[in-house]
Amino acid sequence: MTARGRDGALARRMLIGLAVVVAGIVLGMPLAIVLVEAFARGPAAYLAALADQDTLDAIRLTVLVALCSVTVTTVFGVAAAWCIARFDFRGRSLLLTVIDLPFSVSPVIAGLVQVLLFGRRGWLGPFLETYDIRIVFALPGIVLATVFVTLPFVARELIPLMQEQGAEEEEAALSLGASGWQTFWRVTLPNIRFALLTGVLLANARAMGEFGAVSVVSGHIRGATNTMPLQVEILFNDYQIEAAFAVASVLALLALVTLGLKLALERHQSGTHANEERPT
Amino acid sequence: MSNTAAIEIRGISKRFGNHVALDNVHLDIRPGELVALLGPSGSGKTSLLRIIAGLEAPDSGQIMFGMEDASRRHAGEREVGFVFQHYALFRHMTVFENVAFGLRVVPRARRLPRTAIADRVTKLLELVQLGWLADRYPSQLSGGQRQRVALARALAIEPKVLLLDEPFAALDAKVRKELRRWLRALHEEVKLTSVFVTHDQDEALELADRVVVMSAGKVEQIGAPGDVYTAPASAFVHEFLGDTNRLACHIAAGRVLLADGGVLGRVEAPDGEAIAYVRPHELDILPAKDGSAFIRHASTFGPLVRLVVGFGTANLDVAMPVERWVRLGIAVGDRLNLAARYGAVFSDPAAPAAQLLPEVPGTMFAASICQQGGTQRN
Repeated sequence: MTARGRDGALARRMLIGLAVVVAGIVLGMPLAIVLVEAFARGPAAYLAALADQDTLDAIRLTVLVALCSVTVTTVFGVAAAWCIARFDFRGRSLLLTVIDLPFSVSPVIAGLVQVLLFGRRGWLGPFLETYDIRIVFALPGIVLATVFVTLPFVARELIPLMQEQGAEEEEAALSLGASGWQTFWRVTLPNIRFALLTGVLLANARAMGEFGAVSVVSGHIRGATNTMPLQVEILFNDYQIEAAFAVASVLALLALVTLGLKLALERHQSGTHANEERPT
Repeated sequence: MSNTAAIEIRGISKRFGNHVALDNVHLDIRPGELVALLGPSGSGKTSLLRIIAGLEAPDSGQIMFGMEDASRRHAGEREVGFVFQHYALFRHMTVFENVAFGLRVVPRARRLPRTAIADRVTKLLELVQLGWLADRYPSQLSGGQRQRVALARALAIEPKVLLLDEPFAALDAKVRKELRRWLRALHEEVKLTSVFVTHDQDEALELADRVVVMSAGKVEQIGAPGDVYTAPASAFVHEFLGDTNRLACHIAAGRVLLADGGVLGRVEAPDGEAIAYVRPHELDILPAKDGSAFIRHASTFGPLVRLVVGFGTANLDVAMPVERWVRLGIAVGDRLNLAARYGAVFSDPAAPAAQLLPEVPGTMFAASICQQGGTQRN
């Protein structure tokens, strides 16, 4: 091995070590502390903390909000990715930019906009009040705020893939007599299924963990408009540290499961990718 | 002709932004014939094929399938089999499922029973000699095999017309030749009206019953392969079909003169500026110590020797049988004179050529060529 090669190996080891240490301090330790603190008084106290009615309501609401918002994000993401990848239309790059907006805008602003639009003194407030529709400080507002935050995830995952795959298979299906829906279900969807799942998982993780946007629109009504991240904050502020960490640990576990699934998907995908490559 | 044509293309025009892809194209395709759309890239041939298939909508004009106007019909209703350049096989389906696709998406009322579909697919896979690959995925096949799967898939819906976009472009030379012969044999067998797009003149001339030469969105010439080669309708067609040498010249009293007065030959055409084309095998070389040209390069290619001959400022291609080259006993650097046995003279590049004939058989033209003269290769 040359001197340069040895230097290279040394540098490589140092960089890897540095990355591991930083990741350990910044990512690993907090996660470990969450679990340690949550179980500080034993599993019984942990379960009791989770069995609290407000906490259960928060979990239920979080799941409901994630379900609703991820559904909207998925439908929007597939439609937007399809438009952008398949057609060249006026405003295409504008749409691309708008999809990215939630990445660059603070979630708090997303929540604030909801209040300004749908709140009692908001633009649409009087109209909504006439028909007795509640959006802010209720489920619809929380879902809308979460949708705003999660909107880019599915579309961003799909656009590069669909652009790379091209429209030929869809055209082939159409010329073989398939209808638009048949083409979508039998050709388009199977071709994007892994990327779609990855996008859904990421959107779901974000939806469950969202704090800022939801915090503004929820109104913190215990047992009614509190999601898990909000519940963690409330418990923490009430000095119920173990309970706060217990709820936090559930969130952390959800995140870990999401990442695990994503990893498994990527493994599976890279395993089959060689088989799915397009002939050149 | 219109009542017997399988496909009649009436005044099709198509623009993409500022680019005119097709400009008022008319074309009749007869039942059972194999037609080649031949042209350089950007000539509009693929656009025309996609418009016939219904994958693209023309800006104006009509496509008639028999007596029926197909212009308004959706791609899936045209009963057209389309083979894509890169095959576009469904990557997540087996070969069998790929071929069965067109049969499975038929509305239930008209769909064949499951077993009948399986029978048809099996038969088609036998036709393309791929029965043993039915359970494979497209990624596990070679290029030639994918091509044949794409063909079987297109044939499964029993199309009235088969359209192929650059069917051999993505294959290596040897497979390409084999598949070309095989496709020709298959066409003889099934006698399906077929149109294929190609930029390869050999492919068009070998495979097609008729060749449609296209350039810049227009049809330059339609004819049998032999006709378009020997009687090109325009300078473009002559240049595009096969290697040729291009010589700027001047016609005066039936004589074709090069820029400095050298005589190329005789022609029956009005006086004026013109362009003469002489194919490499139509040029003769005659060794002479004081000759006006010299051999720059020589290479043997199978039974032919190809020479690059320096002539004035230009290089000309000359081809001759190996035996003649050996008999002449000359080498690179030797001086010689050139004589054209035959050629094509275009007074108007958009009109058919006048025949170039030797002034006296065997006459040499011993003149240097003007600047524009040069070699055209395809």
